[in-house]
Amino acid sequence: MAAAAEVTGRPILLFADIDEPGLRTLEVYARRGGYESLRKALAMTPEQVLSQLEASGLRGRGGAGFAMGKKVSFLPKGAMDKYLVCNADESEPGTFKDRELMQKTPHTLIEGIVIASYAAGVNRSFIYIRGEYALQAAMLDEALAEARAAGYIGEDILGSGHSLSLVLHRGAGAYICGEETGLLDSLEGKRGNPRLKPPFPANQGLYQGPTLINNVETLATVPAIVAIGGEQYAKLGVETSTGTKLVSVSGHVKRPGNYEIELGIPSREIIYGLAGGPPQGREVKCWFPGGSSSPVLTAADLDIPYDFDSLAKARSMLGSGAIIVVDDSTPILDVALKVAKFYRHESCGKCTPCREGTNWTVKMLERIASGEATPMDLEIMASVQEHIIGNCLCVLGDAMAMPIGSMIAKFREEFEAHIESARLARGLGGAAGSDAALAAQGAFSEHPETQLAHRGTGDQAPGAHEGAPGTHRGGA
Amino acid sequence: MTQQVRRFEHGSRVPGWDRAADLEKDPALVPDPDSTLVPAALREEIEAHMADYPERRSAALPALAAAQRVHGWCSPEAIEQVACVMRVTPGYLESVASFYDMLETTPVGRHSVYVCTNISCSLCGADELYAAVQEAAAGDADFNVRAFECLGACDIAPMASVDGVYVGPLTPADVPELLDDVRAGRSVLPEKQLARRLVADPRANTREFPSHPAEGGA
Amino acid sequence: MPRAEPRTITFTIDGREVRTAENTMLVDAAKHGDVEIPVFCYEPKLGHPVGACRMCLVEIEGIPKLQTGCSTPVKDGMVVYTQSERVKVAQQSVVEFLLINHPLDCPVCDKGGECPLQDITFGWGGGISRFIEPKRHFVKPLELSPLIAIDRERCILCYRCVRFSQEVAEDYQLVLLERGAHSYVSTFDGHPYVAPFSGNIVELCPVGALTSRPYRFRARPWDIEGAGSLCTLCPAQCNVTVTVREERALRILARDHAEVDDGWLCDKGRFAYQSFHVDERITEPLLRDGGVLRPVTWERALSEAAAGLARAGAHTGAIVGGQSTSEEGFLLARTMREALGSRHLDSRRGGELDLDLHRALGAPALQARTSDLEFAHAVLVIATEPVDDAPIFDLRLRKGVRRHGMQLAVASPRPSALDASAALSLRFTPGAAAAFAVALGAALEGGDADVDGLARAAGAQPDAVRELAALLLGRAGAAGPGAEGSRPEREVVVLFGERILTGANAQPGARALLRIADVLGLADIDGAGLLEVPAAANGRGLREAGVLPNAGAGLAAPPTGDAGLDSHAIAGALAGGELNALYLHQCDPLRDLPDRGLWERALAAAGTVVAHAAFLTEGISEHADVVFPAEAYAEKEGTVVHPDGRLQRLRPAIAHPGSVRGGWQVIAELALRLGLDLEVLSGAMASAQLFEAVPFYAGLTLEEIGGRGVRWQERAAAGAFPQPATDPLHGAAPELLAPTSEDLEFGAFRSVWDAPEVEFSPALEFLFPRSKPGAPASSGNGNGNGSGSGGRRGHAVHAGEERA
Repeated sequence: MAAAAEVTGRPILLFADIDEPGLRTLEVYARRGGYESLRKALAMTPEQVLSQLEASGLRGRGGAGFAMGKKVSFLPKGAMDKYLVCNADESEPGTFKDRELMQKTPHTLIEGIVIASYAAGVNRSFIYIRGEYALQAAMLDEALAEARAAGYIGEDILGSGHSLSLVLHRGAGAYICGEETGLLDSLEGKRGNPRLKPPFPANQGLYQGPTLINNVETLATVPAIVAIGGEQYAKLGVETSTGTKLVSVSGHVKRPGNYEIELGIPSREIIYGLAGGPPQGREVKCWFPGGSSSPVLTAADLDIPYDFDSLAKARSMLGSGAIIVVDDSTPILDVALKVAKFYRHESCGKCTPCREGTNWTVKMLERIASGEATPMDLEIMASVQEHIIGNCLCVLGDAMAMPIGSMIAKFREEFEAHIESARLARGLGGAAGSDAALAAQGAFSEHPETQLAHRGTGDQAPGAHEGAPGTHRGGA
Repeated sequence: MTQQVRRFEHGSRVPGWDRAADLEKDPALVPDPDSTLVPAALREEIEAHMADYPERRSAALPALAAAQRVHGWCSPEAIEQVACVMRVTPGYLESVASFYDMLETTPVGRHSVYVCTNISCSLCGADELYAAVQEAAAGDADFNVRAFECLGACDIAPMASVDGVYVGPLTPADVPELLDDVRAGRSVLPEKQLARRLVADPRANTREFPSHPAEGGA
Repeated sequence: MPRAEPRTITFTIDGREVRTAENTMLVDAAKHGDVEIPVFCYEPKLGHPVGACRMCLVEIEGIPKLQTGCSTPVKDGMVVYTQSERVKVAQQSVVEFLLINHPLDCPVCDKGGECPLQDITFGWGGGISRFIEPKRHFVKPLELSPLIAIDRERCILCYRCVRFSQEVAEDYQLVLLERGAHSYVSTFDGHPYVAPFSGNIVELCPVGALTSRPYRFRARPWDIEGAGSLCTLCPAQCNVTVTVREERALRILARDHAEVDDGWLCDKGRFAYQSFHVDERITEPLLRDGGVLRPVTWERALSEAAAGLARAGAHTGAIVGGQSTSEEGFLLARTMREALGSRHLDSRRGGELDLDLHRALGAPALQARTSDLEFAHAVLVIATEPVDDAPIFDLRLRKGVRRHGMQLAVASPRPSALDASAALSLRFTPGAAAAFAVALGAALEGGDADVDGLARAAGAQPDAVRELAALLLGRAGAAGPGAEGSRPEREVVVLFGERILTGANAQPGARALLRIADVLGLADIDGAGLLEVPAAANGRGLREAGVLPNAGAGLAAPPTGDAGLDSHAIAGALAGGELNALYLHQCDPLRDLPDRGLWERALAAAGTVVAHAAFLTEGISEHADVVFPAEAYAEKEGTVVHPDGRLQRLRPAIAHPGSVRGGWQVIAELALRLGLDLEVLSGAMASAQLFEAVPFYAGLTLEEIGGRGVRWQERAAAGAFPQPATDPLHGAAPELLAPTSEDLEFGAFRSVWDAPEVEFSPALEFLFPRSKPGAPASSGNGNGNGSGSGGRRGHAVHAGEERA
């Protein structure tokens, strides 16, 4: 590993040997110092390990950015059924860092889980991996078998008296299961509906027991913290965002991929320096700093330091650390539609503002795209986003409303221009005619009884009941 | 990506919405073990999953996935078999199955081609790719071609998951070969498989780093 | 286990200081300050709040985000705003979101006028909608079951119905399918939602998405009145509100009573009102004329009946059925004893039970309350299948297990619907309930009795019986709440079926129950006790009113001196010619009593059979000489007694059809023709007479009973309950009992689902148990047999899921 550091000369912890052939096997991993951190941790008391985690300042790498050590300390002490769940349901659009870790160095994750379970006094753990990650799950399965055989998981680990069972649980395709309480319901074999909080998982989580839930990258960082010491780790990065972070860069960049960076470097350095910036001749139009749930930033924001607080100050967020770059060749409406449709598809349907608000937003965006909207629709859409934010059961509604809201705020002129030009293309006239058109739209309503008559046998093609385009509204 | 969106197309029609209960049927209770035949291998797999968890319901997802592998989809028959082994009602399992994208509640082709059409991939041409796959696989009942939400491989955008194997970056020109590989049972586009990709350009970042974990601190 | 006693705190809501119990959810606490916070998904009966609809968002000082009032426990000093601009905007937006896809077909919606969505839209909505896209439309209404129609356009996805199915009834049949805006309520693969409590989802639905098929389009809210009543179709005596339109019952709704029904109804209770208004109902007096029952005037019917009974005089027997009020039983007992000089009347199924045993089992200190089923540390269900005998107890027991960690033990001859919820389930030979109780008593006592032998005699596993004893005692091997503290203060409730107290082994069965109660100290522990599920709905009230061969009113010694014949002996005496006449008050022996063969002979041999009946069931239509039309419960006036001792009042909700008269009135008129003036001119006078005659009811008035009922054990007069003359347990050792064929016969009860009210209600008829074609014909009364299954389409009363 020293060789790698010499070659790169950059602050790498997690990616140190990442492309080392065979790193995912226990043999190579152990040869590279694997499970030494576990030995070191087991030689300490759980409290000492916990204090190392707290000293590291490590903040959750899954999206919320909550201090990991504090999360562990929230778990009640004493003998009871407690659980640790590794959130490997990496589904935030643009994010693929956990995939890389599980695929290339699964033992780092396992080692992190065992150390964290020791610190938290947990004896049962689960990795909830998204069902789409078949390759990564298979590799984890192999690694788990090796770790079990070597005594890193199971009863009385390395003679420490600490026991841990670890089960790999495959999801089946639902973004919402990345939300921690949705994940717990899913792990309990239910629909992945988020739960009301409180109670928080630290008190009542999996099977009603105290549960520690951490992201893959967070847990995979634990061995490095134990190895170099929490205080040393805290020296990396900036004061409130310590350490290194894996950043997934994608979209309109020359070198998409995962990069390990020290938190606090300028965002421009990641987008242009590491990922090569947008293709020749194009400029950054906007970028999502932390997955598609984060409010978009523009080219003017490229010099913001890439860390939790600086991005929050810019009214966006670091989120999962996934930068999606959109260049100036793409209409903002397309981006908004993609984002809104995704969240509509993934809304679990449990709470009203998210279920209905995502659906409504998509319909409005579609109307804008097809030239049937007026500038007033933009106002309504912005207001709908405001009504979603903060009013939902979990953060999924906000995850759509925040970026959509930011797009309307930052690209209002482009939206308005699109509305105007799409209307002209449809022959609906410009904004001057909009009030009349709107009145005509408002007048449209079907009487329930007439609808019953229309519906008849119900064997029409899907969509027929809702009417084909242009059927119901004149003026087209 | 600038496709014309149909005004009333909102994908909100689900076949079940217009379906009444068949009053001639019995209520769907926990299936009777004596009259529900479950393939032995499936039963064993489900029971093994159930043993992994403190509560048997937790095995619902892996059990349904196992049944889907046997039956091709989560058919009523498949769900009843799982319900019988897990001692839950089939309604419970159908409710779970219909929540998750990877569990199919209608019959599908046996080869799945999930084309990621989420933001990063579509910025790189996923919508054209999806159209090309759809067109090329049209009429072939063996294929289950779906536009899928972010599959977590934006580094190889645009990409697809072909029977669970991630391949990318793809262009519409790759599609015929991709489908041929699947039909022939070959490894799909081996050169484009994610498994072979190195993480990133190692010369990208030049900032100095004070210590290294393997060296045990600074 | 101890029920929480919250302390009172003060919080501020919209500027008003309000005192309420700590940790009450804000939406409930707000009501103490006359503030209404609108809700859709919140329903405490369904368990923990889910916070899904977001209608109840409120602003709390110190918390940046709006909070759901349904899930926020109120704390001392909390400052809450429900009228601030932020809250108003949030409420309006939730209403706007909900109405996006709601069809607004209120003019043709059954819920219109009594619809929470309408009310909340009016009260908290913005008044406009900015949603101009087309709403979604589906075919509607659709059948969800023979009883329930579903209108998916109207559904606002509040989750109440599916939560009921999964978390209250625990049948897991009604589920949500798909995800997000696609979600819809449905069942597996188009199967109907048929379950014993399915109708509750109609009442839970806050919109018109789930409607009762029998009630659809029968009335608008302004056409109807609600009349409080209680259902006497089974011993659970759930409190109901009858929806009345033009003197007809159109609907039954729950009238929540935490000490009776916990707010739920079974489908029989909810839909059997149809039987009030069917052509099969007897609405005129009938007289057998040339072998055929023909309508006659009341005068004629009464005088013919009086003549027949007078001829038989003291050789008359009387059986009073379970739907009779205590007053009817009381007046009839007086008539029998005072006018005819007969001692032979009964309200039980037969099987001799000493008066001392009646008194010992009925002792006030030993009686558990209904809610104790939920809060006890452990409940033993023995020789009863709640879903068949008193369905609502099934839900109460499930709730105890689910919410309060109650340990449930089920001892029954057949698999029980509750097995899946039970910490321990064990079986004994059919008919061996008393023998099982003896074995359990011995195991609890832990003396030198031969537990193995006693258990084997009952057909039970000796080890299982010992395990049960340990569970009830809270000893090792029975881990759980309260396990550490053994006997003292462990609240145990024994819910037993009257089966134990019938047949040849009735007396040892009763003694065994007393022994169990004694060892567990049930009489001394608050929240512990015995709770009997009688075979007859008002079984307890009729006994207390003196409708027993060996007891007068108030379980006094029989006024006639010697004891008379019990119901089984009455049949024998009729068949043998010792008795000549029979009075049947809302009882058809061929349906309701054991030993059908004997009863057929008895009815054939009887010189006069006078029946007070609502339906021409077999025994009545073939054997009655005079038939008085009986009232349905919604027409009655009087009181009944819940198994836990709660006197509840029946008030007429609808008018008598045809020439039906009040039961008390018919008996009084008959008595008059037999030379006895009962001195009752109104239902209230009958009640007053009863309350005066029963010492432990002393001072009761109908006003005191009111709409919620009164447990007589909780009144001062309870001290007047008669003590047993001798201690029934004194010197008694556990008896080795072998179940007899008589026990088997007596132990076989009809399920409550196997009743004329089910058979003659068009909507419920599909639930009526009929032998399936090809199934061996079961004989006689063994038919119902407490299983309740075997309906035409396999009615699923055993719908619970199994637990790991």
